Amino acid sequence: MHIQQHFDEPLALDELAALACLSPHHFHHVFTGMLGESLASHIRRLRLERATWRLKLSRTSVINIALEARYETHEAFSRAFRDSFGISPTQYRQREGVGAQIAAPSGVHYRHDATPRGFWTTRRGEKAMTVTVKRLKPMRVAFMRHIGPYNEVRETWDRLTMFLGKEGLVGGDAQFIGICHDDPAVTPPDKIRYDACLTVDERFRPQDEIGVQAIAGGDYAVMTHFGPYEKLSASYAKLLGEWLPRSGCNLRSTPCFEIYLNSPESTEPEDLITDIHAPLELTGGTDHGHA
Amino acid sequence: MATPEKIDLYKLHKAEYVTPKKPVLVRMKPAQYLVIAGQGAPGGERFTTSIGALYGMAFTIKMTRKFAGKQDYAVCKLEGQWFMGEDATKVPQDQWRWKLMIRTPDFIGETDRRQAVARLLEKSKPREVEEVKLEKINVGTCVQMLHVGPYNREYETIAVMRAFAEKEGFTPAGPLHEIYLSDPRRVPSARLKTILREPVTKT
Repeated sequence: MHIQQHFDEPLALDELAALACLSPHHFHHVFTGMLGESLASHIRRLRLERATWRLKLSRTSVINIALEARYETHEAFSRAFRDSFGISPTQYRQREGVGAQIAAPSGVHYRHDATPRGFWTTRRGEKAMTVTVKRLKPMRVAFMRHIGPYNEVRETWDRLTMFLGKEGLVGGDAQFIGICHDDPAVTPPDKIRYDACLTVDERFRPQDEIGVQAIAGGDYAVMTHFGPYEKLSASYAKLLGEWLPRSGCNLRSTPCFEIYLNSPESTEPEDLITDIHAPLELTGGTDHGHA
Repeated sequence: MATPEKIDLYKLHKAEYVTPKKPVLVRMKPAQYLVIAGQGAPGGERFTTSIGALYGMAFTIKMTRKFAGKQDYAVCKLEGQWFMGEDATKVPQDQWRWKLMIRTPDFIGETDRRQAVARLLEKSKPREVEEVKLEKINVGTCVQMLHVGPYNREYETIAVMRAFAEKEGFTPAGPLHEIYLSDPRRVPSARLKTILREPVTKT
């Protein structure tokens, strides 16, 4: 709702997250999980829906409506409009009726006359979602930072495992962990920060490109993702967008991380298993009977 | 770094690993493995330490070579040979004898192995790493079948394999060999996939 009232201002992530009482780290996942579309496509869609009303109810030129909807050119606007409604803005203007909607899983649409009235949280597929709350001890990890798209983290992993592997630190009970500092829905791909980590004992010292950090202990909501890494974001959306709002738990403002339970080198993508960990605010007591 | 493509032994020897849910005859070529032998119940302490030692060796050898710019390869899945005679159900679990193994390229030699042992002991890893050896295993003709389900139902699949062997004019020559395609810590037992392989001789 806030989004529709402040449509024409650049929407600051920090501000939206603060309104939703969520850390910016997690806002996008929660948003996508609940509304079934990313914040960016949500805003784009509502601006297009508003344009249909403007075309009918005002005499403003198409180019001005295009600019209002944040398109830089008439052509770009017409293309997006046609993709969504099947006809050009000019054809639409000449047609009967007023206002049009683009199908959206949440049921939130632009309304000319009123603010929207709530929405449906999405349930894509009815696959079982098992989330457990676990209290973890802090972990000491050796890590190498990757900055860039997620689909390129493999190279960083190759280097990390090679350097630590020749030292005899891979294998045995060392765990493979990925820390995700940014959300791909908001951070441009070339700026995404990801830490490839391997658990090490206190004797390990940072060297060259390899740093050491501690992963905070405490409560985590843990959900197992089965399948290719490319589909992890759908599981994040479920955990943070569907499970979390219903759980009554709050997120801590530390990053989520993933524990990789099998090796992508010897496992088919469909058989990969990853535990997603979302940090929860400590509830104070020792009673942790969350379902 | 312009290194040649990574070797995947399972893809290279596809005919030995692609297995349907019905019994087939395969002819295994001699293959090298990193192995560690022991006795005790699967999941017991000795078994678990041995798996840790085996993987520690496999990764250390691979990564040392890779760091030196030599041919890279994928560490294969865990396999095991079981020495309990024809009917494992008659032997108490703590007396089960096994050899855990990871298929390893032929270009890995004794020097690589010794270097890795030294490195791991230097890092205070369990002494069992010293027991990890390189071994060439040549089992020849085998009956092979994919078993889907818990390990304690393998006898059903083995019965199908033995009936097939008999029909084809073969008798089991043991030991039973298993290739663990799924991770038993994570995959529900009903969905575990294991290749069962039993060497046979012509009757």
